[in-house]
Amino acid sequence: MAKKNTLTAAENSMLKKMFWLSHLVFVNFTMAKMEANAFTMSMSPAIEAIYGDDKEAKGAAYVRHNAFFNTHAVALSFIVGIAAAMEKDVAAGKIPGSTVDAIKASLMGPTAGMFDSIFFNCLRVIAAGIAIGLCQTGNPLGILVFILLYGVTQSIMKWILIKLGYSMGLSFIDTVFSSGLIAHATQCASILGLMMVGAMTATTVNVPLNWTITINGAVTEILPLFDAIYPGILSLGIVLLMMFLIKKKGAKPLTLILGLLIFGIVGAFFGIF
Amino acid sequence: MSIASAALACAIVYFLVTRVDMLLSWQCLTRPIVVAPLIGLALGDFTTGVIMGASLEATFMGISAIGGAVAADATTGSIIAVAYAIVAGGGATTESITTGLALAMTIGTLMAPINSLLQPVWLLLVPYWEKLAGQAEPKKFFWQNMVVYFITGLPSAVILYIAVAAGVTGLEAFIAACPAWVMTGFGAAGGMMTAVGFGILLSMIWDTKICVFYFVGFICAKSLGLSSLGIAVIGAAIALTIFFLKKDIVDAKNSVSTAASTSGPANSEEDFF
Repeated sequence: MAKKNTLTAAENSMLKKMFWLSHLVFVNFTMAKMEANAFTMSMSPAIEAIYGDDKEAKGAAYVRHNAFFNTHAVALSFIVGIAAAMEKDVAAGKIPGSTVDAIKASLMGPTAGMFDSIFFNCLRVIAAGIAIGLCQTGNPLGILVFILLYGVTQSIMKWILIKLGYSMGLSFIDTVFSSGLIAHATQCASILGLMMVGAMTATTVNVPLNWTITINGAVTEILPLFDAIYPGILSLGIVLLMMFLIKKKGAKPLTLILGLLIFGIVGAFFGIF
Repeated sequence: MSIASAALACAIVYFLVTRVDMLLSWQCLTRPIVVAPLIGLALGDFTTGVIMGASLEATFMGISAIGGAVAADATTGSIIAVAYAIVAGGGATTESITTGLALAMTIGTLMAPINSLLQPVWLLLVPYWEKLAGQAEPKKFFWQNMVVYFITGLPSAVILYIAVAAGVTGLEAFIAACPAWVMTGFGAAGGMMTAVGFGILLSMIWDTKICVFYFVGFICAKSLGLSSLGIAVIGAAIALTIFFLKKDIVDAKNSVSTAASTSGPANSEEDFF
């Protein structure tokens, strides 16, 4: 695995074109075929190179790749690389075209899950956490940090993965998915994600309790009582409550948003905020 | 700045940001932390945009398109909130910023279904794309996709123009007519709203084996007062240490079970990261 197949200059320029085209993941996204058009466009340099002037075979290949496809944007580049490698075997008559479809379909679910947890739930949260810290004080560099960490990184990974997918083809999937390391990588990414969400719970979630009760003429404020247990414990409590409602009760985010809104206004009416 | 020209500026920024972001497939430039400063820049108050962007990003952190219906539209919610703060009520005062932030989630929730109304219309094009793919003309396929792509972005921009033009004045009237406790309630709900997003994020990455790190992150920020970058470094150190420990264990297991095999299965991970 350490020795990668060296790519020819023609293959390299083909992969470069495919890399740029594979950014168009959400162009003309529809609920019926999702990222099908993006996949077709990303595959076009490979299909043109492999089938040459055989217009009929090209048309068949294009239609095949215009099928339903959906995964994480970065994973799409990786699968495009694999599909391009397999398309060579299809052209040589070694495998039927339906095999490529089957591999594509079987990779959608696992790659979406894995890339979502790494990019969406981990990298994005870290990038936003750092950027929020900077922007809160009015420092515009936070915006740049966010774009570099979350945006540009995705393009770099796309380039690495499209080359990896193309040069290693299916052998890569066998090793990675059977070694069991993916589960560990996902878990470690989650550790980082959890810490950042914890930090942001402390700095951005605010339960502005302004509730006082009067017992025998003595005015008692409620918020300091909670903060005496641990500072900010109400913020922690409300986030954990939301998670519990989503995870265990299957509550819809919209219900929770509206619920909190009503809670806030009713609470303010009775003077607890 | 008159409300109509402010709305036009917002609509142009919105159109450019959503279109360019989709060409890159980063789902990064449409985030509040990027959009809010851009709107600030367009409306002549960059710093307010930067500061509001930080709060809005936290509010919408977990509310995003990750399959299924979007509960609240982070991009339009943020744009209207920033436009309100800067344009209405005598410019970017602390009061108008607080009001804008308090209403952002409510606005985003109202805007989400309006923007997704048009989705089914693009389904009509699906058979056409497949036919076009079959013609095996990649350049034609690409350019027609691009043209249609930019056209399909226009209706949402028009909706946003109307929402800002009518919404900001409407909000002003609404806020003026409300008793004080209603706005206090919106403010309290706004502070707690962040919890919904974090609850969604947590429900995706929560795992009893590692959940303690959520509390570690909270304490690092609340009690130790570390910056988010500092917490990210600590988190990365922990996550990488655990990952490499687990990798050693997996490697050891694999070398025992496949002692005769010549392939080195786990090295590909290093290429991967």
